[in-house]
Amino acid sequence: MATASMLQGDRDPFVRTDGQKARAVGVSVSARDWGWRHAGRTDPALWGLDLEIRAGERVLLAGPSGAGKSSLLYALAGLLAEDDESSASGELLLDGNPAGHCRGLVGLMQQDPETQVIQARVGDDVAFGAENLSVPPEEIQERIIAALQAVGLDIPLDHPTAALSGGQKQRLALAGILAMGPGLVLLDEPTANLDPEGVLEVRDAVIRALDATGATLLIVEHRLEAWAHHMDRVIVLEPGGGIAHQGTPSELFAPGPVREELISAGVWVPGYTPVFEARIDGAQEGPVLLESRELAVARKAGGRVAAEGLEIAVRGGQAWCIRGANGAGKSTFALTLGGLLPKAAGTVLATPELASVPEADPYRWRATELVGRIGSVFQEPEHQFVTNSVAEELAFGPTHAVKPGTRQPLFTHGQIQERVQELLVRLRLAHLADANPFTLSGGEKRRLSVATVLASGPQVLILDEPTFGQDANTWRELALLLREELQRGTAIIAVTHDAEFARALGSREFTVEAAAHGGKGPGKRAGLLEEDSNGAASFLGSVNPLAKLAAVVLATLPLIASMDWLSSGLVVLATLLALPLAGMSIPRFLARGWPLMMAALFAAWGTTLVGRDSGAVLVHLGIFDITEGSLAAGAATGLRAFAVAIPAVLLLFTTDPTDLANSLAQKARLPHRFVLGALAGMRLLGLMIEEWTTLGMARRARGVGSRGSALARLRANLGQVFALLVQAIRRGSRLAVTMEAKGFGTTERTWLRKSVFGFKDAAVAASGLLIGLGAACAAIAVGTWNLVWG
Amino acid sequence: MSITKQPLGHHAATSWRVVDIVIAAVIAVCSGVVFWAWNSTHHIFDALFLAFPPATSLIAGMWLFPAVLGALIIRKPGAAIFCELVAAAVSMLMGSEFGWTVLAAGLVQGLGAEIVFAAFRYRKFNLPVALLAGAGAGLFGGANTAYVFRSFPEYTQGMLVVYVVCMGISGIVIAGLLSFLATRALAKTGALSALGSRKAASEPIFG
Repeated sequence: MATASMLQGDRDPFVRTDGQKARAVGVSVSARDWGWRHAGRTDPALWGLDLEIRAGERVLLAGPSGAGKSSLLYALAGLLAEDDESSASGELLLDGNPAGHCRGLVGLMQQDPETQVIQARVGDDVAFGAENLSVPPEEIQERIIAALQAVGLDIPLDHPTAALSGGQKQRLALAGILAMGPGLVLLDEPTANLDPEGVLEVRDAVIRALDATGATLLIVEHRLEAWAHHMDRVIVLEPGGGIAHQGTPSELFAPGPVREELISAGVWVPGYTPVFEARIDGAQEGPVLLESRELAVARKAGGRVAAEGLEIAVRGGQAWCIRGANGAGKSTFALTLGGLLPKAAGTVLATPELASVPEADPYRWRATELVGRIGSVFQEPEHQFVTNSVAEELAFGPTHAVKPGTRQPLFTHGQIQERVQELLVRLRLAHLADANPFTLSGGEKRRLSVATVLASGPQVLILDEPTFGQDANTWRELALLLREELQRGTAIIAVTHDAEFARALGSREFTVEAAAHGGKGPGKRAGLLEEDSNGAASFLGSVNPLAKLAAVVLATLPLIASMDWLSSGLVVLATLLALPLAGMSIPRFLARGWPLMMAALFAAWGTTLVGRDSGAVLVHLGIFDITEGSLAAGAATGLRAFAVAIPAVLLLFTTDPTDLANSLAQKARLPHRFVLGALAGMRLLGLMIEEWTTLGMARRARGVGSRGSALARLRANLGQVFALLVQAIRRGSRLAVTMEAKGFGTTERTWLRKSVFGFKDAAVAASGLLIGLGAACAAIAVGTWNLVWG
Repeated sequence: MSITKQPLGHHAATSWRVVDIVIAAVIAVCSGVVFWAWNSTHHIFDALFLAFPPATSLIAGMWLFPAVLGALIIRKPGAAIFCELVAAAVSMLMGSEFGWTVLAAGLVQGLGAEIVFAAFRYRKFNLPVALLAGAGAGLFGGANTAYVFRSFPEYTQGMLVVYVVCMGISGIVIAGLLSFLATRALAKTGALSALGSRKAASEPIFG
């Protein structure tokens, strides 16, 4: 397989060949009295903006949240459409033409790496934008290689994108943008979700790519340290309209009033960290609350051990910072300590100071017992929201908390009200008491998520990357709040890459190293959407998916019509005989097919039991008799269910969903927007399954239990479904922006991977038809044919 | 050379934008995950219906909610069918005991809901319409299982009728009512801000 470093075309692949002038140079931007008002809002996001950016200039856009920075980027990318509710004013021009009419001229990258990737394989993902711009496939090939090289990604083109790290995903997204040959690159907080290494990795890739293409750059960022030196100009937007300040980085960030103004707006100007008096560690240390001995942790019960030999003893008033490489099992360790994941081996022990009940393993406590003792704050605040308003959210934990070992409430109604009021004021959320938690700003959500956990007064507080993506103000407030908690004798355990934050808390360091056989490092986990590698290499793996689908349907169609053992048996036999063609061994087939077998047995049993009785009675079972007649009917039902289900196993084992989508769009002529849209959504399947598990843990940490009455469990489950839907729709919205920014949605596009339907494919479809016909004819000839509609 | 700009007028209300397509797909995939989670638990309920097996369809509405939810959120022609079909494809991908026939079932169930939304010309998405759509999906799905695929050859005619009616009721409650409530709750979170249903929470329930 070709890698980025192996090939390099003779000519510059970033030069367009579609008749327009090459865009190896940047595009200029100009705004004249420009403004934008979003649907459903009374105030415009931006107003009266006058701005000139030269071609090739590198500009950093800063300003307080709500100043309309992202709106400006979206407008430049042509993603804001006017309708009866949203409107623009003034002019926004790219090289003198209205923005939004300049296809392929602009590339946009957002912060969430998961939604910047569209396709399941690296090469396909880079090609996506260029395909939408109808670039000829041969040229796309060259552009892919050059683009991957420009961002420094040296990985095979068929590498699964799901296996990439966050930083790699962002670089891949950038490669996809470069392959479109844009003259303007827009980056919306491209590194907010990344650890420090990832930030530099992406920064370097961006600078290298700009050097290679000469494109203009406009970037929105909170953390300026990594970027400031590479920028020509910094523009600070004024909330409500216009530009507050602009100048070179050294002008604006030099000590002076502008720097102070930026700092107070929460901007991380270079060289700035909120200063605290050093915390004297050990001064208020209490007794040991929670400890682990010889602890081994795993993400799934019975799954692979991520880290082992973990020993920690956490005292009240102590702060611990958990460090370690990506994928070393830091979060898994934190979740296990927090009583949210079962341990793989060793012990997690809550001392009598923390838990005055015989059960010392937090994982065995009910959720309502857990919330009053150990609080876990997840990285994504929305995972932990369980009510409809900020005030209810704060009251939820204390209302549900019970005294350990009992069902008596831990707090009285009066105490709860008092705590809620105190936290609302302390965290400056009082004006938002009735707001829906999901509608808060990023910083407010973070403050609320910490407050909700503090509300039930846990003695141990565990936080996962609490400062990711936060502005300097939220960062400072968070540090102050946690220092207060330490002062009160609460123990704090934080998984964080943020060395400044660890220092502000005066924390001790605990380093987690991945277990010897390797942790869940990047590059190991494949996505759900790849066929098996044996299956792909087999004969059937090389057949057009449409042909396989047709064969499966044609072969099983007679089974829908007839309920008899012979036709079903013949289809099962044909499927088994075809296993070698799919590169599938019997054990692998059984591994995939056993649930289907179980289902078939269930169906057979049901019919045997209640089916029409005839012939000799074999067994008496209460009111039911099993007779020769009902046994035969049961066998036929089960065999038929099995025969209908198993041919699909061969199809799935040998088929890449991307290939299926390609052939559905290219050969079956289904509208490609819907086919590729569905495919992009399906790529999120693995992610959503993970998210479902995370939500279960995040909600347990809030006191939503998986135990209790059927009604309570049903409510908890429905709540979890709702939370999953919110996350899914948010992801979907971002994914849609990514796809649209890559030119998706037009009627014409080219395809890097051409779907071919040849003689071999026709032969496979025909054999399906023959199997179906043969089974039906045999059943009719022998006399077992038994039409279900008869 | 223009993209993304949508023509104004009625056409804009019925034509699918990229965001509509992707979110519809995501809702469907999310439903697939719910099916998967449901698959491992719903057999607990089966015991409840041992006394009268045809009543198991009372909880079958679980398989129908993507159609109604998708249409209520996306509000475009074909949304019910698209969401139900993609959700079915996801369950097939995750290993369905029904093989490819799950696709056919999804198509028919989606159609049952789609017809109702079409009858109101894709302009009404209130509670009565949602309940009707749930009923449509349930009746179509039930009839398909009972009379076309003949999944229960041992049932008497009477039992088959009960099965279909129960599935209709299940569709009304689980697919119709719950989807309606979920849409309003989702609108309150701001997650629907890019969609035609962004104001669903403030619309009249019966209007």
